[in-house]
Amino acid sequence: MVENFTRTFRDLWQAFAEKKAWKSFALFFALIGPGIITSNVDNDAGGITTYSLAGSEYGLTLLWTLIPITLALIIIQEMCARMGVVSGKGLSDLIRERFGARITFYLMIVLFLTNLGNTISEFAGVAASMELFGVSKYISVPISAVIVWWLVVKGNYKSVEKVFLFACFFYLSYIISGFMGKPDWHAIGSSFLEPTVRMDTGWLTMAVGVIGTTIAPWMQFYLQSSVVDKGLKADDYQYTRMDVIFGSVTVNVIAFFIIMLCAVTLFQNGIRIETAKDAAMALAPLAGNYASWLFAFGLLNASLFAASILPISTAYTICEAFGWESSLNRKFLEAPQFYGLYSLMVFLGAGIILLPDLPLIPIMYYSQVINGAILPVILVFMLLLVNDRKIMGSYTNSFAMNVISWLTVAVLTTLSLTMLAFAILS
Amino acid sequence: MVVNQETQVFLYFSELLGRRIVDSEGRPIGKILDLTGNISEMYPSVTEIFLRRTDGKTVLLPWRKLTEIDGKLIADSLQTEDFREPVLRPGELLLKETLLDKQVVDTDGAKIRRVNDLQFLKSQKVLYLVHVDVGFHGLLRRVGLERPINFLFQLLFDYTMADQLISWKFVQPVSSPDLLRLNVAQNRLAQLHPADLADIIEELDIHQRAAVFRALDVETAAETLEETDPKIQVSLIEDLDMANASDIIEEMSLSEATDLLGDLPKDKAEGILKEMEKDVAQDVKELLAHPEENAGGLMTTSFLSFAPDRTAGEAMETIRREAEDMDLIYYLYVVDSDGHVLGVLSLRELIVADPGKSLSELMDTRIVAAHIEAHKDRIAEDFAKYGMLAMPVVDDDNRLKGVILFKNLLEVALPNLGR
Repeated sequence: MVENFTRTFRDLWQAFAEKKAWKSFALFFALIGPGIITSNVDNDAGGITTYSLAGSEYGLTLLWTLIPITLALIIIQEMCARMGVVSGKGLSDLIRERFGARITFYLMIVLFLTNLGNTISEFAGVAASMELFGVSKYISVPISAVIVWWLVVKGNYKSVEKVFLFACFFYLSYIISGFMGKPDWHAIGSSFLEPTVRMDTGWLTMAVGVIGTTIAPWMQFYLQSSVVDKGLKADDYQYTRMDVIFGSVTVNVIAFFIIMLCAVTLFQNGIRIETAKDAAMALAPLAGNYASWLFAFGLLNASLFAASILPISTAYTICEAFGWESSLNRKFLEAPQFYGLYSLMVFLGAGIILLPDLPLIPIMYYSQVINGAILPVILVFMLLLVNDRKIMGSYTNSFAMNVISWLTVAVLTTLSLTMLAFAILS
Repeated sequence: MVVNQETQVFLYFSELLGRRIVDSEGRPIGKILDLTGNISEMYPSVTEIFLRRTDGKTVLLPWRKLTEIDGKLIADSLQTEDFREPVLRPGELLLKETLLDKQVVDTDGAKIRRVNDLQFLKSQKVLYLVHVDVGFHGLLRRVGLERPINFLFQLLFDYTMADQLISWKFVQPVSSPDLLRLNVAQNRLAQLHPADLADIIEELDIHQRAAVFRALDVETAAETLEETDPKIQVSLIEDLDMANASDIIEEMSLSEATDLLGDLPKDKAEGILKEMEKDVAQDVKELLAHPEENAGGLMTTSFLSFAPDRTAGEAMETIRREAEDMDLIYYLYVVDSDGHVLGVLSLRELIVADPGKSLSELMDTRIVAAHIEAHKDRIAEDFAKYGMLAMPVVDDDNRLKGVILFKNLLEVALPNLGR
């Protein structure tokens, strides 16, 4: 794998040296998208909440974990993208064909529930961030649900993808507000150089939470399908790989700034928070109103972004597995299951938020727990598939890649199961 | 005369998979993993059982060795030579591996479906594959929830779920190129309209796409390609060698062929042009010189023009002879010896005209033409205004250069038609 990456960079450099730079840049930008979009959607409402909590409760001590997380994310996403490019099929498609109807059926039910839980937390993010701007959730949530639904059903995918790529830029707001917190770069640097592991349950749970929110089951399905949708070929694969690496790095850069900002402001002043909304509010007196607004705006953008993608990705995944018509180019009656599932997720996700006295934190929490429980299953399936010569031909994992990826999966599985155990015991 | 009393029964594949085979004493022999079928038959008959024996070996056993008594699958007095190494004979394939959970093309409904189950007809001990189950009911049967869900539906809604079966004769498997090759003799894809075929090809994955496309004859391939999304057109052609590609592109209409060659990478396009017939290649090259969004880039040069002194009868003869290779025959353009447009008449006017009359007497001299550098939006407006099927394209001196078909402008014109 390492030599593959260096080859990619060398090829790009050569193209640059031969003054074909523009051509290769143009090609790169034509072929990117899936990796960057998937990674950024991953910094959703749940992610931002977890990062805020990590920073405000444990200061800079969790920052270094972002480096192994980035590597794990790259390794897993790279395999997905490779499977998409080589097989031309989505992940649920491959799982159905290789592992049969029964496993797929139950897997899809669990995935539906998990993703529904996630969608609910996205709309909760919309509600929370709009309340910071003084808008009631009874206005903001229905309107955003309709916008999300309309954008996907009535727009075409090309324009939707452009909107999504554009939305990725708004994550910069976290970087800007990060600088507004006047961080002590020296202390941050040393937190990376001298990584510490604290042996208390709270710290460990938070570490698992940060990992769990960064590597989610639905991402693998979404990434692979969008790679397939883009019609990328094995020849273009080097650009897809760049896309995946670039996406995985940016997502963690954003995470870094959120944790760091909360650490240097909230943690140092001993302020306890429970949600991302608390974080945004608490930031105002410490880092200024603009930082607070930018933080809230980032949350709104992230929640809307993920609320548009999660339901559509789920509908695609399930329809693909069961062979139901699944295309935005079809009319409602031609693809009833597809539009039915999609609409159900959007309106159920938004509708549940509007219920009074909703136990929101348990809902978000349990959806994270199921996320963690289903992730190992999907990762193991992925590794079996990516090593299947019938599917991947000569593009199966190399021995070294297999060692690295099985190790990664083993670590992630242990962590997920630990989190599950914590959840059940507490 | 002996009358065979055995009734014909339907049987699902899912009911056989995983079943144990025992001998007459009830001792286990093995477990059914898969069945092989002879795909070249109209309704494939099951030939062998692919089973895992109790000693862990996977082997093939002829289907006819099996009898069903009281719900038990019994194979009696087996010799070691009854078992065969699991190597398939030509024309034979593993049904589970190639069909179950895989995608197939339903040529009757022109759709891609996923196979949830297979239905066999058991007649005189022979098992024939007759239906493919693509419904939700079949999926539940596979999952093992058929009974509880049926019970629930009956209880709550008084509703019995029906099976969604497709007759095998409308099923084209696409999971491997071999399947398409085996079926060439009775290629079921040929039953589909090229436009439907194009939709199906767009939905398949890259490998299936290429395999299906290769299985089509040149003419169908060309018609299908015309209906396919430009991006996919390019990927399909890129996968073919130059000779095959040029054969197919020659069969396409001139303007579609030009658009496609314009989208291909330069070396590939040049290679294909070299392989193509000289005169067609020449026409394509001329058209390629014009920018795509102008009249010159939209037009075709494959149409008929006549001298003014020709009679209607002679023109009819020419049309009859040439029509097959032309992109447009509905309008006849009358031009002088230098190629200046003098007039136009429609095929309808020609048919009703006196065969002895000359074209100059019949033609309409009010010509609506597009300048060769006119922009497509402008042309679309004129099409909407004058309601024509095709529009001639002229240069600065009013010389006829080509014709734009309404069909080729449809993508541009469609957004403007609503106004």
